[in-house]
Parts: sequence; C-alpha cells; structure tokens
Amino acid sequence: MYLQILKKDLKRKKTMNMILLIFVILAATFIAGSANNLLTVSSALDSFLEKADAPDYWFASTNAEDIEKFQEFAAENGYDYFISRLIQIEPKNVLVEGKKLEYSNTLALSNLGGIKIFDKDNKEITQINDGEIYVTHVMFSSAQNDFHVGGKIVISQGEVEKEFTIKGYTKDALFGSSMVGMTRFMVSENDADLFDNDKAAVCRSVEIRTKDAGYRDKFNELGLNTVMFVDRAMIKMMYFMEMLIAAILLVVSVCLIFISMVILRFIIHFTIAEEFREIGVMKAIGIKSSRIRGLYIVKYLAIAVIGTGTGILLSIPFSRIMIERVSAKIVITGDDNIFINFGAAILAGATVVLFSYLCTRKIRRFSPIDAIRIGETGERFKKKGALHLGSSHFPAVLFLAVNDIFSGFKAYISMIIIFILGTLLVIIPVNTINTLRSDHLITMFNMVESDHIISREMLFNPNEDNEAKIERQFLEVKEMFAENGIETEVFQEIMFRSNVSKGEKRTNSLSFQGRGGVTTDDYVYIEGTPPANVHEVALTYLTAGQIGAKIGDDVEIKVGEDTKVYIVTAITQSLNNMGEGVRFHQDAELDYNYAAGSFGIQVNYRDDPDEDELAARKALLEKLYPDARIYTSGGYIGYMIGDVASQVDSVKVLILSIILAINALVAVLMVKSFITREKSEIALLKAIGFHNGFLILWQTLRIGIVLILSVLVGALISGPLSTLIITPIFRMMGAYSIQFEIRILEIYVLYPLAVLGVTASAAFLSARGLRKISSADISNNE
Amino acid sequence: MKTILEVKDLCKTYVLNKRQNNVLKNVNFRIEEGEMTAVMGPSGSGKSTLLYAVSGMDTITAGEVTFCGRNIGEMNQKELAALRLDEMGFIFQQMYMLKNLSVLDNIIFPACQSRKVKEKRQETLERGHELMRRLGIIDVADNDINEVSGGQLQRACICRSMINRPKMIFADEPTGALNRSSSDEVMEELAELNSLGTTIMLVTHDVKVAAKCTRILYIVDGNIKGEYNLGRYEREKLRDRERTLNGWLMEMGW
Repeated sequence: MYLQILKKDLKRKKTMNMILLIFVILAATFIAGSANNLLTVSSALDSFLEKADAPDYWFASTNAEDIEKFQEFAAENGYDYFISRLIQIEPKNVLVEGKKLEYSNTLALSNLGGIKIFDKDNKEITQINDGEIYVTHVMFSSAQNDFHVGGKIVISQGEVEKEFTIKGYTKDALFGSSMVGMTRFMVSENDADLFDNDKAAVCRSVEIRTKDAGYRDKFNELGLNTVMFVDRAMIKMMYFMEMLIAAILLVVSVCLIFISMVILRFIIHFTIAEEFREIGVMKAIGIKSSRIRGLYIVKYLAIAVIGTGTGILLSIPFSRIMIERVSAKIVITGDDNIFINFGAAILAGATVVLFSYLCTRKIRRFSPIDAIRIGETGERFKKKGALHLGSSHFPAVLFLAVNDIFSGFKAYISMIIIFILGTLLVIIPVNTINTLRSDHLITMFNMVESDHIISREMLFNPNEDNEAKIERQFLEVKEMFAENGIETEVFQEIMFRSNVSKGEKRTNSLSFQGRGGVTTDDYVYIEGTPPANVHEVALTYLTAGQIGAKIGDDVEIKVGEDTKVYIVTAITQSLNNMGEGVRFHQDAELDYNYAAGSFGIQVNYRDDPDEDELAARKALLEKLYPDARIYTSGGYIGYMIGDVASQVDSVKVLILSIILAINALVAVLMVKSFITREKSEIALLKAIGFHNGFLILWQTLRIGIVLILSVLVGALISGPLSTLIITPIFRMMGAYSIQFEIRILEIYVLYPLAVLGVTASAAFLSARGLRKISSADISNNE
Repeated sequence: MKTILEVKDLCKTYVLNKRQNNVLKNVNFRIEEGEMTAVMGPSGSGKSTLLYAVSGMDTITAGEVTFCGRNIGEMNQKELAALRLDEMGFIFQQMYMLKNLSVLDNIIFPACQSRKVKEKRQETLERGHELMRRLGIIDVADNDINEVSGGQLQRACICRSMINRPKMIFADEPTGALNRSSSDEVMEELAELNSLGTTIMLVTHDVKVAAKCTRILYIVDGNIKGEYNLGRYEREKLRDRERTLNGWLMEMGW
C-alpha cells in the first residue's frame, strides 16, 4: 500500500518532490565533498609534514656571526639542526623560456639537504644533476610564466650565468604554500656553489628538530637577527588557505541542509493542509496516527535515500577535484577516504528524515473532526485582509500581491529565510574579496596608500651602501616626473629583522621604517598616537602581546648589533608574517647593513590627477622601469597575496551560481504550490474576466516583493555579519580590526539585481503554468 | 426588443479516454435584452456546459455565439477576458471569493481592473456600498468572507457580478448551495435586477427558482427540447407560475 501511495504522490507532486530531491542531492554532495576535503587535507598536512621530516622550528638569517652563535647554542643544548643555504636571486635576472620571470617576492636557489622534498608523483627527490632545476608548484603553475618540464631557465647573477632544464615541480613543505612570501629553485650542489660567491646575498635556513618545550624562550634569549622564525604549527598554518576553501564549502553545505529542511517543512505543511480531509477520513475510519505519518515519512525516506545515494556518487569526483588542487602542493597518500563521504552524506539524509518525522507531528495532534474541519479549506479564526482596496492607491494586481503577503505572512517565512540566507552567502564573500582587493588593505601590510607602486622590491647586501641605493631610486623617480612638471612624493617601506624584548620576555619580529616622503603620521594605528620621535615605536597586537608590552612601556629592540630602548606609543596591526611587526620613526637611526628587504617604491602625486592622467603617469613609470610592474595600492596587495583573493573569487562564482539555482528552484516550488492551492481563485478570476497576464503578474509580484524585502534585510545585516564571520579569519592572519570594503553599487544594486532578475524570471516562467487552468474549471472545484 | 445573445448550431465535444462525447449538439436559441432565462434539464444534459460556452468561459467545437453583435468564437483569450470583465457578470453555485479580501473588496475588485469603469477608487467604493445596501448586506462590508453566511455571500457575489454594470449576468445554479429561505432571498434580488433591465441567464434544477424567470429552455442530451414563456415575474402570481411550469416540465419528461 505504501508503495502505491508513494507512487501516486511522486507523480502528483512531481515538481515539489523533484525540487526537494535536488536540494537533498546538492546538500549531500557538498557536505560529503567538503567534509572529505577538510578532513583529508587536515590529516594529510600532518602526515606530509611528518613524511617530509619538517622541522619543529625553522629560522633564516643572513648574518654569519648569528649562525655561529646559534651553532654554539645548539651544541650546548644538544639540539639537532640542519643548515642549508638560500642564495638570493633577483627575479629580473631569471629568464624562463627566454622571457623575464614574473615574480615579486624573494627568490632563492638551494640544493637538497635537510627537509625532504617530493616530486609530482610523491617520490622523494634525492638527486638533482648539474644543469637540472625544480621549482615549487606555486611557481610552476603561475599563469604569467611558461614553466613546463623540459623547458629552459637561464639564471644570471653578477658574472655567473647558467642555463637549466626544468625537471618538474616540487612538493616542498617549507616553501610550498602561496602564503610564504618566498620561493626556492632546487639545483644541484655544484650549481648552487657556482652562484654562492662573494657578491651573492646568502641566507642560511636553519631547521631545528627538538621536542624541548622551552626551545622558543631559549632561542629568543639569543637575540639573533632572523629573516624569519616559525614553528611547525605556523608551517601548517601557511596551508590555511587550502583549508579555507573547504571550510567555506562546508559552511555552504550546512546552509544547503538548512535550506532543504526549510523546504521540507514547507512541503510537508503544504501537503498536510491540502490533504486534511483525507487525513480526517483515515483517522475517522480508525487508521492510527503512526500509520498515517508513515505514509508521509516513507516518501521523504525514499527521497532521502535517493538523494543521499546520488550525493555520495557525485561527491566522489567532486572531492577528487578539490583534493587534486591541494595535492599539487602537498603529498596526499592513501585512499580517497570515501567513508567520510558516506558518513557525511548519510548524516545529511538522516537529518532530512528525522526532520520530516518531526514535521509530521501535527498529524498526531488532530482528532478526525479537527482534521476534516480545520485547514486551508476549512474555518479560520484569524482575520485576514490586512489592507483595504478602497483606501489603497495601488493598481489592482499590486494590491492583491501585497495584501496576500501581509494576510498570510506565515506562508512566506520559509521563502524569506532562504532568500535572506542566499543574499548573505553571496554578499559576505563579495565583501571579503573586495576588502582583500581594496586600496585600504595596504594599510594592514605596514604600508600607506599611494597612487602608484613600482614593483622594485630591493634585496640588500651588507657590503653595500644600502641607504644610498634607496635614495638613488627615489631621486630617479622624482627627477623623471619633475622633468614632466609633476611634483611627487616618493617613498618605500624598508624591512629589518629585529629582536624585541621587555624584561624577561623576548621575541623576534619584522620591523619597518618608511623612507622618503612618508612619516609615521601617515600610517593607521588601532590605539595610541604615532611615534613622534626616534625613541618611539608602534608595535602590532601580536608582537606587543608576545612580550606583554602596552602603550607607554619601554621596550628594547635590537637591529643588527645595536640595541636601543624605545617607548611604545601605539598599537597597530599587520598581515605580514601572521601579525608580527614594529614601526620605527622615519628618522630612527637603524643599521642599513641589516636591512632585510623592502616593498615596492611608492609614488604619490601632489596634484590629485584624474583616471586618465594616472594612466598616462603609469605609462611614464613603465618607460622608466621596463622591468617592473606598476600597481595601484589594491593591485599591489593582489600581486602579493593574489592567490588568496582569486581562490575566494572562484568560490564566490560557485556560491553565486548555487544561490541563483536555489532561488530559482524555491521560486518555482513556491509558485507551483501557490497555483495548486489557489486553483479555485485563479479559475474564479479568469471566469470574471481577469486575463492570464494579470494572474501571472500577480504570482510573480508576490515572489518579487518577498525577494526584494529579503534582499534588503540580507544586504542590511550582511555588513555586521561579514565583520562577525570574517574578522576571526583575518585575526588568525594578524589583523584585529577590519574595515570592510563595502561597494554600494555592487552589494546593494548589482548582485541584488542579478538575484532578483533570475528569481523573478523563474517565478514568471513557473507562473505561466496557470494558463492551463481554465475559467470553466471553476465548476470542477469543490 | 434587441437580441443580446444569439446561439447558432452550437456544438461542444469532449474527448475523454479516446472517446468522443458530444455534450452540446446543434443548439440554437436567442436571448433578448431584459429577459431572465432559466436553463433546465436533467443532470448531465449539458446545462452548465451551455452556460460556460455561451459566456466565453469555455471554447466551442462548432457553431456561432454572438454576444451584443460580436462573434465570441473569433475572439482571443484576452478579448474574451475583457468581454467577461466589462460586459458580463457571473454567479456560481459555490460562493467563490478571494480569501484574503474583505467582502466589500471582493465586490469592487473587478472594477479596479476594468477598462470600462473609469472612475476614482473612492467612487467605486461608494458604488460597492450602494450595491451592498440594495442587497441588504451593507453590515458585512468589512467582514472576512468566512464571517458571513452562505446567503449573504451569494448576495455579495451578485453585487460583484453587478459592479461593472454588465449587459448580461450568467448564473450557474446560484441557489444550489443555499437553504430555501436564502435561496428565495437571492432569487428575489435577481428578479429585482431583471426588472430594472439586466438580462439574466441562469441554470437551475429548482422549479421555484425557474418560476421567477421569464422564459425556460429545457435541454436534454445536449439539445434544446423545448422552451416555455412564463412572462414577467409577479410575486403574487408565483404559485400559479410554479404550477404551470411544473405541468410543462412534466410534459417535457422532468
């Protein structure tokens, strides 16, 4: 009997059941795929670091004396360590297939030793022949460069020049993530020796393997000048982005399950309301409530089983695609963890069945008479008719639509929740991407906003006059513009490694000093006042927290060989190196022999040029620096962290497509159910002379009005919700106070219009189904 | 008198389970302005189908239906809808109304969409009140449709059918769902409307209802078997009319 009823119901409510099935499939697919991805990547990261024998601590330094000091310290404490070299290469001195390498960050040559690195087939690379070269996957897959196996790379440094053959890409635990602001090419020891000459800037990479919990404190007490110092947890953290995408999709999946449940609730309540009389008759003739509920639940069980099964099948290729993306960077071994897909999808299916069971509780509560008399076609005890036509100035069709919504608001709640959720799922990623790409974000990278940034990041050599080198560049730019009658401010952010301490507490941190036409007043601080003289500094939340410093405290900062006492006047934030940072006054005397690097050269025009003029000036800069790229502030951040924004961007497109599909399906579902429920009213209106166009517009307008209201609410709450959801992610990267970039046109006009357009079109097309109802059907209705 | 509705050789055929079912077979009749015509006949004879076919609510298979000189068979759906909205009024056995509107709003709603009625919303509202007053249901104007009795609701349906000042009202068993006293009240209202000049065509099973009409068409198996002219309705002669009509119906095989 169940099977027969099921068959009849599936046939009668084809569209409704189909839409519910689609949602269950979508939810099962996404939850299975993203859970698999999240768990696989998370466990694979641990096993990859284990397999690669990743160090417990890792630091790099350009100072040979510091390295010796460390060796003594390690010998005293019995620490196991390995030192490898990172020979710094100017990206402009690298030709890939005859074209200049497009890369902005630090590039180094290195040879095997220490941490194990793997090839694309997950095999450890144990031998590199002379003339052969491996690059990291981030580099290998960059769209701007033509890396391919067998391709040629020519590297020149000073008087040395050598051609290499590309053997492939590496899975390198230390340099494999796009969040590490550095990459390395692996060559043979002989080839590395060739470039490791007197003129080369060589940095020592030191890997420490120890289980000593007190290592960090002891190391900090050494007061070394390090280019970087991270522990294993931070190495893992560098792969945070690989997890972020899976995490976003997991959130979307949970939303999809929620939407499925809202739809399920709507369908069950609609079905029960429609079949009140049948339920009443069944009860009257003595069929138990549990048997009646069973009739409904068996259908949702069937949908859940089909949906979950299909979801599992679809999730397998889906998880593989997601894993493939990550497996290019890290070694993922073992099976596909299909059991995760099964577990997650079955959980989603079980939730749907359980929820359907809960939704049918209503049946149990009714007596046969209640069931026969109450319901949509029975008596009502609440007054309807929220508006009055006589006192309204709306056209008849608009009045009818608005009045319907306000008279039966409950029926629209499901739709409103789904539309609001959809709006949030679209707007929050867009706000995040826009923030990541905004000019303003540059202030969180220890820089100030500027009109143009030239990608002339400098590498410093302890044996050169670095300050003069910087000033020469500034002069070059200023003079070039002066010749064209343009007054400019030219400046650059110079980085140092420093050791910061307060009392017993000590930490290593990246430090910044703005050189040229910039002062400490130009930067953004969270608390306090900008450093006003050479004895004052600003610390980031992280660095201040590590040594327990507050505004007004004295701290000792060692740069190179000099240790000086500074007063902390401000707290700032930084997305560099997960939040560490010190800001020196522009006139603070620092030893430029220890300068670790710089950002690009920044140019501000004093005459506030328009867009066309800016483009012309960009052309001038390109002429002056043909090897460099010229960016805006936002563009420069994209250039530095491009992978992050583009990855979130790709997810945004996926989410937008899902949301548009969901809204369209929900609109179809609602319109179909309204048409079924209002068949007699439609037939009546047709009979008394209302044409199809009026009726289709009436149905479409109701969905449109509800959608506009929902999008408005969604857009309004998206601001605070973006802050609530995204701030913790930024906080993990070091930013404590995020000012979201909300582009009014995009957020409040463009996307809402796209959502409105698609949803209203779906409602309109679905509403055309009412044309099948004839005015003569009025005689067939009860 | 002027002919308002002319039906020539009207045929209506349904195909059900691959079987052709000829519901109306070459039906011919005319209705003149000011008439109140009742269509009677046994169940399944095609009374309601005839009503829906001549009022443009249903398509016809063959023949010609002319309403106010316009062949409705040549009209498209939009033109038919406009015709029904502006020139015809409808009353059904079930008192169908829009559930989210008050009784008054249901009555004036067609006027808000009509192209013929060119008046301000306030004027329409006043006309709605006037109609309700005439039919004795002004007290329930702002009530929900579930707050009024069946008789009141059917009178509200009559008001709605009148709101666009139609040339003719079509009623499909207008008293079928009412008790005797409500039925009498509703029929008195329809007779009153007719006496004021509104043409009415109604389908009924009830001799008491038909006795208030001026003319009876008797339909059997999709054909008009006979017609009877009762003349103008006079309340005091109702018994005689009923008796006469009963006799005639007996002759027809009722």
